[in-house]
Amino acid sequence: MTEMIHEKKLVNYKLYWLIWLVLLVLTVIMLFVGQGLFSRMAVVSLLLVAMCAKAGLIGGYFMHLRFEKLVLILIVALAIVLTALALFVLIAPDGARILRLSQ
Amino acid sequence: MDEAVKLETTGSAWGGGASPFAVNWNKLMMWLFIVTDALLFVGFLASYGFARLASPSWPDRAHVFHLEFIAAMTFVLISSSATMATAVGAAQRGNRKTAVRFLLLTMLGGLAFLSMQVYEWTNLIRAGASLHANPWGVAQFGSYFFMITGFHGTHVFLGVLILLITAIRTMTGRSTAEGVELTGLYWHFVDLVWVFIFTLFYLF
Repeated sequence: MTEMIHEKKLVNYKLYWLIWLVLLVLTVIMLFVGQGLFSRMAVVSLLLVAMCAKAGLIGGYFMHLRFEKLVLILIVALAIVLTALALFVLIAPDGARILRLSQ
Repeated sequence: MDEAVKLETTGSAWGGGASPFAVNWNKLMMWLFIVTDALLFVGFLASYGFARLASPSWPDRAHVFHLEFIAAMTFVLISSSATMATAVGAAQRGNRKTAVRFLLLTMLGGLAFLSMQVYEWTNLIRAGASLHANPWGVAQFGSYFFMITGFHGTHVFLGVLILLITAIRTMTGRSTAEGVELTGLYWHFVDLVWVFIFTLFYLF
């Protein structure tokens, strides 16, 4: 069993703190984006992209998912992303419809 | 026993007798737990998204929250994630003292975050927010806010306890690097959830 588990990859400490810096910069950008300088659609799009980038960095580097086998990455990522998409895509239109009906 | 297991395998990862995920069982179980816990928050946030889209008067975040304070909370949690990653790296290198030091720093970050959350909650409750009412908009705002941040805060609190236990066990030589790594996976998950709550609740 032991030989089937792949060797741990030791990540350089500097990489963790570089990721930390990138996460902070993304957070500042996200705060700046919501200040009213862009259209609502642009704000939503930029925030979603930044949010996914932060999630990817934390999951990939802090949680070491990037260094795991592809099947584990797919199980984790697809389970969460597909469920979230399914829930939102199935539920959100009803919310908007209810608002239209009430107005 | 290992010989018998080897004879049964067909040579492929799915031949039996070995993990097809190339991780040992406790790390795999932690990942499965993280997936199920993430789905809990996915459900909460999807429900919040629905309520917000269906609401004619969802409170303007600028009127409710002090975004600089929330940004500071985010900074604290991200920094605690970085110290946790450093602790895991130190444990994997066999550097026990450094691992314990960074586990304790991570704990401090968690406690700071919780204190800030308590401060935020206190201010909102004093302003009139509750589970069934608030002075800024639709009634559901309060219940979604307190439930989502409350569940997240509970996860942070339990994470602080786990960090304390892991730090003590590492200090006394009873925890392996793997134990620190599993604790790290949980803590990073807690940070990951905050990334989504911060964006979808405070910034949208």
